[in-house]
Amino acid sequence: MEQLKVDFDKVIESLKLSRESINFRKKNFNQFINNGFPNKRVEDWKFSDLNQIISSNIENLRFYTDLELGETDESTFIDKFAHNKIIFLNGIISKVDFSFEDDSKVLITNDLNQNETSKEVNPLVSLNNALVASYIRVTVKENYSLNKPLIIYNITTKKLKSTTINLKTDIVLEKNSSLKLINLCGDNSENNFINIVQNFDISQDAILKNYKIDHKKNSNIKYSYNNINLEKNSISENFIFSTGSKFMKNEINCNLNDKYSSAFINGIINLTNSQHHEIKTNINHLAENTKSYQLIKSVLNDNAKGIYQGKIYVDSKAQKTNGYQLSKALLLSENTEFDGKPELEIYADDVKCSHGATSGNLDEDAIFYLMSRGLSNQQSKELLINGFLLDAVEKITDIEIKDLIKKMIGIVE
Amino acid sequence: MLQIKDLKAKIDNKEILKGLNLEIKPGEVHAIMGPNGSGKSTLSNVLSGKKGYTVSGDVTYFNENLLELEIEERAHKGIFLAFQYPLEIPGVNTNIFLKTSLNAVKKANGEKELDAIEFLKLVKKKASELKFDENILSRQLNVGFSGGEKKKNEILQMSILNPKLSILDETDSGLDIDALKIVSDGVNASRSKESSFLIITHYQRLLEYIKPDFVHVLINGQIVKSGGSELALELENKGYESLS
Amino acid sequence: MDAREKEIEKLKDYKYGFSTDIENTRAPKGLNEEVIKFISNIKKEPKWMLDWRLKAFERLKQLKEPNWQKPKYPKIDYQGLYYYSAPKSMDDKPKSLDELDPKLLETYKKLGIPLQEQARLNGIAVDAVFDSVSVATTFKGELNKKGIIFCSMSEAIREHPELVKKYLGSVIPLTDHYFATLNSAVFTDGSFVYIPEGVRCPMELSTYFRINATETGQFERTLIIADKGSYVSYLEGCTAPMRDENQLHAANVELIALDDAEIKYSTVQNWYPGDKDGVGGIYNFVTKRGLCKGKNSKISWTQVETGSAITWKYPSCILKGDNSVGEFYSIAITNNHQKADTGTKMIHLGKNTKSKIISKGISAGFADNTYRGLVDIARNADNARNFTQCDSLLMGNKCGAHTVPYIKNKNSSSNIEHEATTSKISEEQLFYCNQRGLNQEEAVSLIVNGFCKEVLQQLPMEFAVEAQKLVGISLEGSVG
Repeated sequence: MEQLKVDFDKVIESLKLSRESINFRKKNFNQFINNGFPNKRVEDWKFSDLNQIISSNIENLRFYTDLELGETDESTFIDKFAHNKIIFLNGIISKVDFSFEDDSKVLITNDLNQNETSKEVNPLVSLNNALVASYIRVTVKENYSLNKPLIIYNITTKKLKSTTINLKTDIVLEKNSSLKLINLCGDNSENNFINIVQNFDISQDAILKNYKIDHKKNSNIKYSYNNINLEKNSISENFIFSTGSKFMKNEINCNLNDKYSSAFINGIINLTNSQHHEIKTNINHLAENTKSYQLIKSVLNDNAKGIYQGKIYVDSKAQKTNGYQLSKALLLSENTEFDGKPELEIYADDVKCSHGATSGNLDEDAIFYLMSRGLSNQQSKELLINGFLLDAVEKITDIEIKDLIKKMIGIVE
Repeated sequence: MLQIKDLKAKIDNKEILKGLNLEIKPGEVHAIMGPNGSGKSTLSNVLSGKKGYTVSGDVTYFNENLLELEIEERAHKGIFLAFQYPLEIPGVNTNIFLKTSLNAVKKANGEKELDAIEFLKLVKKKASELKFDENILSRQLNVGFSGGEKKKNEILQMSILNPKLSILDETDSGLDIDALKIVSDGVNASRSKESSFLIITHYQRLLEYIKPDFVHVLINGQIVKSGGSELALELENKGYESLS
Repeated sequence: MDAREKEIEKLKDYKYGFSTDIENTRAPKGLNEEVIKFISNIKKEPKWMLDWRLKAFERLKQLKEPNWQKPKYPKIDYQGLYYYSAPKSMDDKPKSLDELDPKLLETYKKLGIPLQEQARLNGIAVDAVFDSVSVATTFKGELNKKGIIFCSMSEAIREHPELVKKYLGSVIPLTDHYFATLNSAVFTDGSFVYIPEGVRCPMELSTYFRINATETGQFERTLIIADKGSYVSYLEGCTAPMRDENQLHAANVELIALDDAEIKYSTVQNWYPGDKDGVGGIYNFVTKRGLCKGKNSKISWTQVETGSAITWKYPSCILKGDNSVGEFYSIAITNNHQKADTGTKMIHLGKNTKSKIISKGISAGFADNTYRGLVDIARNADNARNFTQCDSLLMGNKCGAHTVPYIKNKNSSSNIEHEATTSKISEEQLFYCNQRGLNQEEAVSLIVNGFCKEVLQQLPMEFAVEAQKLVGISLEGSVG
């Protein structure tokens, strides 16, 4: 904790901040100091003891870095795919490129003093508030739909070691606007803690498609917190592809604030070795006629551990809510573990809410059937896993991005 | 037995029935025909007492103001509605439901309630008369029933409860010809001097099997024409447009 | 008010709400070593038992009350309670039923529990626990012939110390958690059952619990052991008078099934729920746990929870023996201001172990109903299977339903399936039933009984009828 205090002062010193902004950071810093990294005694972290995970994977964790920004490693970029870019390099924005768009319709702010939008919902968000060194807010103006998707690259370089970096993005969609967003991790570093906070304000009739991809094997520990506010008749589609990092927890808090809004969260956890990934969702139905849908598929190999904690909350005002969640997990080796907590909390009577969760191995009968048709055991398993994952990927509504993600997963059709 | 005078019904401030007049005497079979949205189902709902309608006008049933009675009181007094879409009630055994219903009606009328054995005997008899597969009775009420089975179940309930006024709301919809025949036979077998029927239908087909004494045409919330059974054929040939 | 309304009004009152005017022997108020010694002494317990209690009390001093549950309650004044209360006439325990205080017999008659010879007709052996002591156990002779022991816990401690020593606390350890440890220190009476090897118990065994005295906690302790290849079905019923104070009921129930044995444990819990405004009622904080110790053993819990101000319990199974089976069937109905946080834990340790959970929660009025459960499959539990179904029914939008299943799977050859739904009674369903002549209350009772059917089916015949009525009565006044 001494290191943390020294680093906090360095961060404050290195940034040009207003007095209010400094006070805000100090308050958040103290909140983190009081709680520390969450451990398994905290209900939300029951299945993932972050404190323990960090201390056993990262030696002498630092909270400040003054690494020179080098050249961006362009191999991370997705080619043959026209897109707008925001590039975070070791936690600092190194490039913003909206060349496909009308620049009067897409507004960019990166004044750190304006970064006070995240409520202190948990110690990690507080830590982010206290230490974040680079910030961007993208506002899409009324009635504007971006011509091309936006990719936010989160790239780290080899030089970065044992460091906490904090990323912060706010996305505002004004009325009847739309955005396709890909959050892509490009990890070239080892043993860091990466703490990502994103806020989304989606106004009436607006549509957000948010694809979160962590696909490259790496030894970093990551936490991503998304807070999504949905207004009348707006839609948020989320897809999580969680397979790269040593540890990853994707947490999505989604408030359906007004009627006819809907939220979709689908995802895949596909792990090997001793990876440990978690998806946690909170869907709050706060108005009538709102809808949510979640489908999470996990495939676990070797010593991997997968977790899904999903909660649907239905306020007494939120009559005619439709809420659904399904989690399915395949445990493919004897040392894997899957934990789940699919939770419903309901205070309105005219609602349709259900959840399901299954975990187990591949269906032996199905393998037998395929082998009797001439496939090898290995082929049969691959085919079944392929089909298992495809189910979730098919929920992606953007065809171009769906194909991209299929390629990354290695799904064949 | 039933006099309807200037019956009006509104739902969500939209007027569906706009001054309907009808009289049914004991033993008569009346058919109400009309296009979609003319108010046919509203009429059956209002007569059986479904909540949610703002109703005005006079409906006298055996010298009582029908509109003041609760749904189950109307049932106790012999009004039976065969639903267009019979409800599924999971976990509730069809036999138990029938028995509870029959005994509630009997109790309200000061009659002796049936014990399990007497009831089973009655059900068996009625089911065989209706060529109704008895196995269905041990299943959950309407759960997983085919459309035809649900409708047959309604007719079985009707024949067991022995109502004075049976309202058949689009009972013919979704039935194949065999099921239609069985359902009609059931209705015909229940006809008597005391029991009256109000058959609500879109098509003339059902009326080939159940011959009505009177046919009324309901358009836009009012009866625009009444006549004998020949009126049904006329409608089949000329369509509703000729009357609107 | 017409006759029908009056009848309904009468039914709405808690049928078991009378209290009986009987002189009591009480321990001094409060919780301390002296009181524990008093309890142990009055029950003429051997020293090892007193030592066990005191050990629990030492442990209790270091424990804190848990607070993770959903229903919160005001702080309980543990020093303001009586931990032992017994009818005076029990001071010299009667030799036969004829010597029982007629007022007691009268009480049980009112409750519909026949202690006398007519019990024979029902074929159920009854142990009745009034406040802190067991007052009568029927059918003893008949059971003795088969070697079955069915007696009060106090008697078992004196007569069968080897069995009690071996098994008491073997499933719920002394140190388990606050209320279980409290019970270990101050438990008063309860039932003890031992079914010898290969014996199929020829009748339902039943205990009837009643809290009568004021300011009294009831802390009974039940221990059931089914030896190899045996079978027993055990029923438990509970009532209490209407009082506007909250009374604590913190029982411990331990079940042990050895190789090839089966225990079926059914509860119909109808403690006083408090009045319409949530004043009074029982805090039902109970620890129930079964150990499938032997291979091919089976433990099945069935509960119908309609009473109590707060119900907080998780009848659980530890599936240690290979091929053992655990089952949990539950109906929890909460109305007015009642709260329930209940469910089960299925801990799969052995190979080929199976568990099944069927939970039906019904919430009306201002009530809050939580299903909380754990399915835990250990690394070595090859081919373990679990199926869970949790359904909630809400009536109105002032009540709540909460489903919190925890799932932990560490074995790749195992399989867990969990399903949950939330629904309401639709207007159309009610209209349909009304149209067939059923009034609102009858219609609700019918539909809710249908919703609970899978669980009601698990109850022994004699209880099922009572339970069905209870389901209807508990929800009266909640719709319309």
